[in-house]
Amino acid sequence: MTKARTNASASPAVGRNIIINGAMNVAQRSASVTGIGASSGYSGPMDRFRISAGTTAGRLTASQTSDGPNGISANCLKFDCTTADTSIAAGEKLLIEQRFEGQNLQRIGKGVAGAKQVTVSFYVKANASFTFACELYDHDNSRQISKLFSVTSNWSRVELTFPADVDDGSSPFGDDNALSLSLFIALHAGSNFTSGTLNSSSWANATSANRHVGIDSFYSSTDNNFFLTGVQMEVGPVATEFEQEDFGTTLKKCQRYYYKTGITTSNQDPFGVGQGFSATVGDILTFFPTTMRIAPTALEQNGTATDYRIFGTGGNFTACSSVPTFNGCTTNSGRSRFTTADGNADRAAFFGNGTDASAYLAWSAEL
Amino acid sequence: MSYSVLNTDGFEPIYISSDNKRTCIGIDSVLQEWLRANEDTLPSDIQAQVDAGTLTIADAD
Repeated sequence: MTKARTNASASPAVGRNIIINGAMNVAQRSASVTGIGASSGYSGPMDRFRISAGTTAGRLTASQTSDGPNGISANCLKFDCTTADTSIAAGEKLLIEQRFEGQNLQRIGKGVAGAKQVTVSFYVKANASFTFACELYDHDNSRQISKLFSVTSNWSRVELTFPADVDDGSSPFGDDNALSLSLFIALHAGSNFTSGTLNSSSWANATSANRHVGIDSFYSSTDNNFFLTGVQMEVGPVATEFEQEDFGTTLKKCQRYYYKTGITTSNQDPFGVGQGFSATVGDILTFFPTTMRIAPTALEQNGTATDYRIFGTGGNFTACSSVPTFNGCTTNSGRSRFTTADGNADRAAFFGNGTDASAYLAWSAEL
Repeated sequence: MSYSVLNTDGFEPIYISSDNKRTCIGIDSVLQEWLRANEDTLPSDIQAQVDAGTLTIADAD
């Protein structure tokens, strides 16, 4: 006899959290970034959590910190205000953001009949009591909704349920790998974003002045800090228990958007294998551990020319004469140019190595 | 931070940041953001690529 399942749910027990790296465990780029506020956007320290900063005099240090709430995560994202800014210009902002591909949001059914509610939950604490905002922003249709939340000096879980948005019934998220939705946590904003009425009860076409009304300023004092972890976004009206995920699974999800390879044990470890094309020039190929969102268009490296070398013909090491450079990518591999001053790579196979533990090659496919 | 032309001997030109930490092709989003912000004061080698049509400054999303 066949018996029907009785526990079927729109929110499956595993894989219900749409957020990647919500436990703040993966920080490929670095564990700390100083001076945030000088530029408009920062992709670190935590993978998948972008920091957007408008024009502001305020500065902060963001770090992965081992101070998470017991039983939720050992790690959290910490903001520490290093320069206060109490004269808030109209265009200023400070946002923590996670961006989502439309193809990963189809379970929400947004923009058409039958659209579902979304519940966002996260753990926060600060040095004192603050009011900040959590916003969902639909990039495909320029619609948004924001809700205020409170922070105290102790860890607490914030649970916010956002209503379904049918919109005009014909405006779903794109079912593709492009940006469709952002989750923002707003910690500081100027009048461009605060001079209206907070749009908190239903989704509406975006009006900048209604996005972050009523929030305090993280930059009000250098005493200020802010801690965040256990971030979850799921379909439905209920904040379920934070979904735990093993490190390897989270890392692989993060590597769809950013992959950094480096030397961790020995300077004999290669970044990839290659082939010389002339007396001085050859390319190595590095296979990515997972298919990236798009083919990267840049190569990042750290160091100077002599931090890199080739290991080739006759077992000889030859120092590079310039840093490795971008020479093409697919979504599965990166081709990087290694240049030397002599002929060790001349039409021969070689390894492309680093000589310093801080040397790395990295590729980005962030939204 | 600025960019310059690293080489033009491949399938398409490669550009390098002034701190040598980043090399990229012309469609790269970070390079494009810098191009838009400095459109009126581009270095001569970059401007030459724009004038030749081998580097296009795209509109912001």
